[in-house]
Amino acid sequence: MLQHDVVVVGAGLAGQRAALAAAKAGRDVALVSKLHPLRSHSGAAQGGINAAIGKEDSVETHIYDTVKGSDYLGDQDAIEFFCQQAGPTVIEMEHFGTIFSRGEDGSLARRAFGGAGFPRTIYAADRTGLALLQGIYEHLATETIRMYDEWFLLSIIVRDGRAQGITLFDRKTSKIEGIAAKAVIIATGPFGRMYGRTTNAHSCTGDGVAVAYRAGANLKDMEFVQFHPTALLESSILITEGARGEGGILKNAQGERFMTRYAPHVLDLASRDVVSRAIVTEVKEGRGFPGGYVHLELMHLGKEKIESRLQEICDFSRTYAGIDPVTQPIPVSPAQHYMMGGIGTNMMGETNIPGLYAAGEAACVSLHGANRLGGNSLLETLVFGKQAGLAAAEYATKAGDAMLQPGDLDREAARFQALWNRKDGESPWAIRAELQQTMDKLVGIFRAPEELFDALRAVRRLQERYRNVRVQDQSTTYNIDLSDALEVGNLVDLAEVIVVGAIARTESRGAHTRVDFPTRDDQNWMKHTIARRTPGGPELSYAPVAFTRFEPKERVY
Amino acid sequence: MAAAEEKLTKFTEESLVTVPFDVYRYDPAKGGEPRYQRYELRLAPHTPVLTGLLRIRDEIDPTLTLRYSCRSAICGSCAMLVNSKSRLACRTPVGPEVQAHGRIVIDPMRNQPILRDLVVDQQPFWTRYEQMEPHLILDPSKPMPADTPTRMSPAQVERFRDTPRCIACGACYSACPAVEADPGFPGPMALAKLYRFVVDPRDSATQGRLKKIQTSGLWLCLRCHLCTEACPKDVRPSERIRDLKELAVQAQGGTELGSRHAIGFLNNIEERGTLNELKLVRQTAGVGGVLGALPQGLRIWRKKPEITKAPPPIEGIDQVKKIYQALEDKKEGQE
Ligand SMILES: Cc1cc2nc3c(=O)[nH]c(=O)nc-3n(C[C@H](O)[C@H](O)[C@H](O)COP(=O)(O)OP(=O)(O)OC[C@H]3O[C@@H](n4cnc5c(N)ncnc54)[C@H](O)[C@@H]3O)c2cc1C
Ligand code: SF4
Ligand code: SF4
Ligand code: FES
Repeated sequence: MLQHDVVVVGAGLAGQRAALAAAKAGRDVALVSKLHPLRSHSGAAQGGINAAIGKEDSVETHIYDTVKGSDYLGDQDAIEFFCQQAGPTVIEMEHFGTIFSRGEDGSLARRAFGGAGFPRTIYAADRTGLALLQGIYEHLATETIRMYDEWFLLSIIVRDGRAQGITLFDRKTSKIEGIAAKAVIIATGPFGRMYGRTTNAHSCTGDGVAVAYRAGANLKDMEFVQFHPTALLESSILITEGARGEGGILKNAQGERFMTRYAPHVLDLASRDVVSRAIVTEVKEGRGFPGGYVHLELMHLGKEKIESRLQEICDFSRTYAGIDPVTQPIPVSPAQHYMMGGIGTNMMGETNIPGLYAAGEAACVSLHGANRLGGNSLLETLVFGKQAGLAAAEYATKAGDAMLQPGDLDREAARFQALWNRKDGESPWAIRAELQQTMDKLVGIFRAPEELFDALRAVRRLQERYRNVRVQDQSTTYNIDLSDALEVGNLVDLAEVIVVGAIARTESRGAHTRVDFPTRDDQNWMKHTIARRTPGGPELSYAPVAFTRFEPKERVY
Repeated sequence: MAAAEEKLTKFTEESLVTVPFDVYRYDPAKGGEPRYQRYELRLAPHTPVLTGLLRIRDEIDPTLTLRYSCRSAICGSCAMLVNSKSRLACRTPVGPEVQAHGRIVIDPMRNQPILRDLVVDQQPFWTRYEQMEPHLILDPSKPMPADTPTRMSPAQVERFRDTPRCIACGACYSACPAVEADPGFPGPMALAKLYRFVVDPRDSATQGRLKKIQTSGLWLCLRCHLCTEACPKDVRPSERIRDLKELAVQAQGGTELGSRHAIGFLNNIEERGTLNELKLVRQTAGVGGVLGALPQGLRIWRKKPEITKAPPPIEGIDQVKKIYQALEDKKEGQE
């Protein structure tokens, strides 16, 4: 059995920042990741990271924008701390070696992002996530941290009222191991792959969130799912807002510039949720293209502008949709993009289980409330990754030795054997395909009660079918049939929590739009959803939102 | 591919093409011989090879294994050989491959031990990268400015060229003949990474880095540009290696073994468009040097016996000359 003071699961930005903080605090740290750290999905972020460092900007307005963006569901104490940390965090990343884009005077360049009062998004060309991921990974090498690259989390062991470690397996050999640790930090990132239409990578399957949920951790605000309006048809690869920022326009199948109906003033540049709803409405009312999409036209901008300013988008469209945006419209439709919900934590990354911490997209502090602002989640991974790392390190100095038991590993070994031995079960992909269809169709941008109930029935049927899932590939070397089976099981359980939360919340707030309750209801719903696992499914309770200075107002842009 | 994605496909049956995949299959743990397995799919021509492989896995054969994650050429997981070229599966469309070769042969990357099917052990690649000390080395007497970012002009940022785009996919490492020939060669990605730190104004170990690399493989690069051809992110490692060589010569004068090698190389390649390795060693190091270089030469010879024969001029020698001319012109233009 392996032993460390602190084990961090997930080596995206959040996990690496947590590991760095815990190691700097002098703890013996293990960093576990099912992918090589540099392959984490954080690297796919394009736009940038928010910090109010411009002279004309202020931390105060960043706080206000975030509170308003959250549709008043974000905890204001957490948001205040978060925005205060933004400047120092970005500067620290720069000092670690991150290469940011610069202005003529040598300062960090900034761009405007949706929902922000000032241009406060710091960036590295159109690959900010990659720049940050390289920056932190390369800095991490200056600390002693035990890396478990391509090891996969199976369970969190909670005994005597505290987390005592994890079980995991080495993907190269399928060997099951245990790591006893005084503190466990979950930073396994997003879970968008329960949708077929998602901008997320294939690896975004919420493993850590599902595993923590099974271990008794509370999940928070899971019903809030952000959709991005313009993802490429088929592949769902993100086409950034920049395309519309440069003058791109959306048209329906009848050639109409339909945004005139939904946002007569800002048109195509309206906020994400507004544009997403507009596209879905066009398609529902029969004005979309067959297959359910609209066109994003750039042609009128001219070849030169398109190829110089929108290089990546050109490349994506040509490679992944087989169309040339210089001469043809880009087929786009909304896709799942970000999960506001996750493992419930406080500002120190602590969960309801002593010794268990969470950070990054896997966690819910709550900062983004009902709707995340672009550029805030990269910042969140770093600010709260560090918090969790510090808190876990401190806890580990005080806590007694952690211990696992042989039974902890035996249970997982038996699970593997069952998956392998089943002769005529279901394939993981069949279950995943149906889950994705269900979520795409029934738990999308507009949510109708009867559809949500259908979705719940479908998801529960899939949970039932999942009991009979089967791994056909019998190899123990890098078996992705096996990891797929585990991932699908995690997605199905998280989908259930999302649907149950969405059924219960009878209001529309941020990204959660109920057709039968079209307005925000502060009287009854200004509160966080908390989901706890029981044998009969998630049990919901509610927790108050922290207010410091901003009273809820109607959210108009 | 998820059924939901498929449903959205706007392409009609007529625009689909039949794509025969011949995929390398091998499980060392099970023993036996590597083999190719044939799978056929009907796909739209722009469909990425990765999508094809995932459909094979989902719908035909769940025992096929490979690495992948982002499906958008940013995570660096899916490098493999597509019709013998090192490529990212997720950004290589099937249509042109089928048109040129009639089928799509998929192999694991070269120069790395095969774990199973298309999954290779990338440890050698990561180790060489780590050997470059890829992190800022600071001079304790010159700390970073407190509470403020370092100033860096756009021109200074420009000096990184395209090296920050590297996604560590290893395609260049797989394509590099010097990696294959010499275990002491760090490989194109590691050297491009070194360049990125050498030109970083925040780093204080520039001279030390340049000095160290002179004797740790810098001059083993054959300047064949296969890495640049393979790189999906346009990092252009071979050009950065050229820059490193120039910087190294500037830093230490033209006395190092390698810079003489470079001069020999130029003469040599302009003659025939490819290297006459033996002659090169002679020009670089004299006759004694030929003997001194024997261990390396032998290592190369064992893997690539043809290298010690005087090669015939390659196809398109005119183009090689043009490339050199263009590079020269470009360099002048920059100054
Ligand atoms: C296309 C796209 C663009 C975006 N652009 C922006 C932007 O411009 N600005 C912004 O602020 N935000 C952006 N976001 C959101 C932001 O990128 C993410 O929220 C953030 O990067 C998540 O980081 P993370 O560290 O929490 O997770 P990740 O980076 O996803 O890391 C998760 C880690 O967990 C590991 N892991 C997962 N499961 C297991 C397991 N079972 N066992 C072991 N390890 C496991 C993975 O290997 C990985 O290392 C974007 C998101 C997408 C999808
Ligand atoms: S140019 Fe040098 S580094 Fe690049 S492939 Fe050729 S030998 Fe390798
Ligand atoms: S230099 Fe290019 S080919 Fe090589 S690892 Fe980096 S991105 Fe891949
Ligand atoms: S899957 Fe990420 S680079 Fe191809």
